[in-house]
Amino acid sequence: MIAGPVLLLTLLLVSAIGLYFLRKLEALAAILAAAVAGLLAVVVWRSPLGTPTSLAGRSILVGQPVRLQDLSLQITPASQALLVFLLVTAVATFVLAWRTYQGRTFYPFGLALLALWSTAALMQPLTLAPFVLALSGILAVFLIQAGKVGETRGAWRQMLFPTLSVPMFLLAAWYIDQAPLNPDDLTPYRIAGWLLIAGFVLLLQPAPFHVATPAVAGQAPPVVAAFLWIGGQSTVLFLLQRFLVTYPWLTSAVDSASWLLWLGIFTALVGGALASMQDTLGRYMGYAAVYDYGVMLVAMALRGTAGVPVAIWLLLTRTVALLTLATGAAIVKHHMATDRLSELAGASSRLPWSVAALIMGGFALAGMPLTVQFASRWALLELVAENDVRWSLFLYIGAIGALVGAVRVGRACFGKLSASPVERESFGLAALCAILVGAGLLLGLLPQLLTGPVAAVILPLSRLGP
Amino acid sequence: MSFADFIRQLSILMGLPFVLALGLAAATIVVVRDWRAALLAYGLLSVLLALLLTQGIPMEWALMQAIVGGLVAVMLFLSAGQLRGVRPPAAGREGRWPQLASLTSFRLLAVALLAGAFFTAHSELPALPAVGSPLSDAIVWLVLMGVMGLALHEEPLHAGLALLVVLAGFMLLFFPLTRSRVIIGLLDSWQLLLGLAISYLTVSRGLAGVETGQEGPAFRWRQ
Repeated sequence: MIAGPVLLLTLLLVSAIGLYFLRKLEALAAILAAAVAGLLAVVVWRSPLGTPTSLAGRSILVGQPVRLQDLSLQITPASQALLVFLLVTAVATFVLAWRTYQGRTFYPFGLALLALWSTAALMQPLTLAPFVLALSGILAVFLIQAGKVGETRGAWRQMLFPTLSVPMFLLAAWYIDQAPLNPDDLTPYRIAGWLLIAGFVLLLQPAPFHVATPAVAGQAPPVVAAFLWIGGQSTVLFLLQRFLVTYPWLTSAVDSASWLLWLGIFTALVGGALASMQDTLGRYMGYAAVYDYGVMLVAMALRGTAGVPVAIWLLLTRTVALLTLATGAAIVKHHMATDRLSELAGASSRLPWSVAALIMGGFALAGMPLTVQFASRWALLELVAENDVRWSLFLYIGAIGALVGAVRVGRACFGKLSASPVERESFGLAALCAILVGAGLLLGLLPQLLTGPVAAVILPLSRLGP
Repeated sequence: MSFADFIRQLSILMGLPFVLALGLAAATIVVVRDWRAALLAYGLLSVLLALLLTQGIPMEWALMQAIVGGLVAVMLFLSAGQLRGVRPPAAGREGRWPQLASLTSFRLLAVALLAGAFFTAHSELPALPAVGSPLSDAIVWLVLMGVMGLALHEEPLHAGLALLVVLAGFMLLFFPLTRSRVIIGLLDSWQLLLGLAISYLTVSRGLAGVETGQEGPAFRWRQ
């Protein structure tokens, strides 16, 4: 009987190694990477966790744990949902990356990153999961740098904060182990609580620790950057939820909801304000993503009320928004051979669908009507306003900043083409952008289409345990 | 008396000198600009760390830490060595200001100020679990120096060494607390991977301006 984690991780890692040697055949590598991720998504999604199933003549038990001394990996209903989300996102990203010139190493390294994020999601003991995320930060260095020389800030910052968080979690684990030895003394719980909070601040990277996001956006290929944010941040937020459910004393020991709320609002304000004043496409994208991430943190802070369903909803809609923005940005950057806003004039005449994707993605991240994020943002703002109207006001201010940034980027793409001749976008690229813009519009008009997936995840997520 | 017992007894007997040398090595990594001196200090720090670790964990495990530190130093030496003779591209006035703000004399002053603050306040610091006085001072000093190095250095070699100094402080605290061989093995492997990533970034950063005539548009990622 093959255990689910063994199948998942072996297939991902073996495929990653194989694709590294095939990376020069970019189309084949992209298709194979998408196929592997898609196949695993179907297997993980369709297979019952507790009943053996058959795949290519082999018996598989997806929910069977794998143990190595103190460590274990097991697919639970909640982690099953995250895995399917990560794998489906990877399929979409591999296809987009292939069509938008994101570098050949993305496919093997992307699969290896998926393996590490999956391991972090399945890992027991829980306090060791951040260590796996730190490993993913190291791997991301090679993905972000992608053979370029010169600027290394994005890659360095992507690795730095998860690395610094690991000591906090391991020391917290030691204090948690010591606590039952003297049940009357609450000091170990208090110290462990503060260490976990400090560790999560470094892992979540809210403002003022947000510096990795714009640096990565300025340095890495846009679709790769979006993949890193979507996958990494989703896994970290999932871990946060696991910690809060597994260690209920954490909520009371350090008032985690309050700090998460303020960090989220501060992040959204900083991200929105800075998104409005960037001179390059990459850094605008980075700060718009920071704003959006702040909103996600606010939703997580309200997990005591109805925050978790809204957070899951936001997670799905931000994925569409980020991928749309990143695809538009990647095509515009590639064709115009620059990402300075002052040099993008005329892009709309040569790359109309790419510019449409860029603007639509930017508007979606700002939460504008008729975009994919509108309904989910509206739900969150209502929820926030029920607690304190001032908080929703802060989020609105951040949204205005993100919107100003999107308008500036859009305006920069219009006007007369002044630079050297620019190649028109191909039919395939135009179709890809049209699909993304159409999907965003459809989900903006019919947000109830996402009710099913959100509902399917809520119950296991609220019950997830150690 | 076995060799392991001899090393352990030596470590206990020479605890204070070892701690002082460890602190000096960490300060050297932060202050000096020359990469050879910084790597020599890191190599020394790794050996001293292993010697101090023998007080709390079996000799073989501590030896592994020294080997890992040595391998990381070799990796970084080879990477930095490749950049010998490579001149960084000329930066404008705006691009030069971080270097101006972190002159060796400035870093020396910053370390001296931090040392003064540390010696004034170290008796007030909360006790660390399962370690005595000189070792707990060494742990706090290593973390302080590492964080200061991260704040003062921008290029990957020195900043990476500063990150490894922070982790050295953590290892000195955590290894005696944990008894899991798996976790110690994982943490040692992690340091090696970090060393690899820092080496890669060092070369990437150092080769800036060397390559000319890159093929294709500016935003075509090449690997």
